[in-house]
Amino acid sequence: MREVVIVGGSIAAVTAADALRQQGHDGPITIVSDERHAPYVRPPLSKGMLKGTESVDSVFMAPLRADLDFRPKTRARGLDLGRRRVLLEGGEELPYDGLVVASGARARRLGPPEAGELVVRDLDDALRLREIFATARSVVIVGGGFLGMEIASTARGLGLDVTVVDRDPPLVRQFGAFLAGHMTRAALAAGVRLVRAPEGVRLAGTPATAVLTGEGAPLEADVIVTAAGDLPNVEWLAGSGVGDPGGLLVDERCRVAPGVVAAGDVVARVADHTGLPRRSPHWGSAIDQARAAAQALLKGDEAPEYRPSPYYWTEQWGLDIKICGRILPGCETHVVTGSMEEGSALLQWTRDGATVAAATVNHRMPVVKLRKLAAAPVPERTTG
Amino acid sequence: MRIIVDEARCEGYGFCAEAAPHLLELDDEGELTVLAEQVPEDERANAEAAVRVCPVAALKLAP
Repeated sequence: MREVVIVGGSIAAVTAADALRQQGHDGPITIVSDERHAPYVRPPLSKGMLKGTESVDSVFMAPLRADLDFRPKTRARGLDLGRRRVLLEGGEELPYDGLVVASGARARRLGPPEAGELVVRDLDDALRLREIFATARSVVIVGGGFLGMEIASTARGLGLDVTVVDRDPPLVRQFGAFLAGHMTRAALAAGVRLVRAPEGVRLAGTPATAVLTGEGAPLEADVIVTAAGDLPNVEWLAGSGVGDPGGLLVDERCRVAPGVVAAGDVVARVADHTGLPRRSPHWGSAIDQARAAAQALLKGDEAPEYRPSPYYWTEQWGLDIKICGRILPGCETHVVTGSMEEGSALLQWTRDGATVAAATVNHRMPVVKLRKLAAAPVPERTTG
Repeated sequence: MRIIVDEARCEGYGFCAEAAPHLLELDDEGELTVLAEQVPEDERANAEAAVRVCPVAALKLAP
């Protein structure tokens, strides 16, 4: 393995470069990122950074290793697997012996790109919205998932009048009915208006000034923000033979094709009994996949398999929630210690008698411990 | 160069310990322990990698 090219500039790309060096790769590593910024962390963009309690400087990662060729504002537009070349916008071709695809995902938008829709995906999005929030009085957020509810919490904390609209009740898909119900009550208690729009929504105006829900009056506000999920950045791979609209499919070692591995939000894996590829666009997954991908690139079949261990967190309405495992439909919830009413709890979820997930709510616990609890039996007194 | 852990910020993710196993470790309780506060020159890159993967900016390097 001589030349390594990494496409992407976020935590998966940076971790892959670090892991390659740690594993002994001493050849050239080129990182091409279409961002104008040096690598930064995304989790604060919808929380402290957006609110203004954390400085812009605090989101930037510690400077990259000096032995990497980091090229910002450089967009990959094609991949030639046969000739092992990444094609860049502008015509340059980067030859590689090993390629790490970490091209990430982008915000899903409801309208055309030129409509100036506000989203929170990258640093510039967050900076723009932070400025707008400073003078706005009202916001409608389309999407009641993780991101939408975090933005809602931040906006409410800034004193804005906040409405969240979604097809489904907020957060049930991610957190299950018990925890989602608690978070929804917290949002309502904070004064947020929640609107169901089972038929979906449309934005009115350019830039948008109202959300049309198909029934009832248009939802008008100073600011409309779309938080309707993300889409994997696979378009640049068109014609290469790899990459689907649902993500870039990898094997059990994060490999895509000979000499090509992938990590982060772009990756889709067949991870469970359903046999359907799915993505796990979380910070922890990006790091774990990047390390697995780096090893697979250098060691092939000798590299350990990537064993996903889902871990994710959110902060909203004064609730600090961390989850290991996956809260599947039909799970039973157990409050192991504390109580939701007291505002601090440890939760476990079981399905068919087996523990599948654990979470803390305003309850500090090292992640390693929480991870063990996500597979440990539920204490007897709390069952039923 | 020294590693400084902001214990109030650290939430015990453990990403850093994997990036710099000779410098940082999670103890039996899952809490972060600094094995070597002074970073040897040949561990410097790993220490910097550890700082980068922390999602809550709990690690810093000081001269």
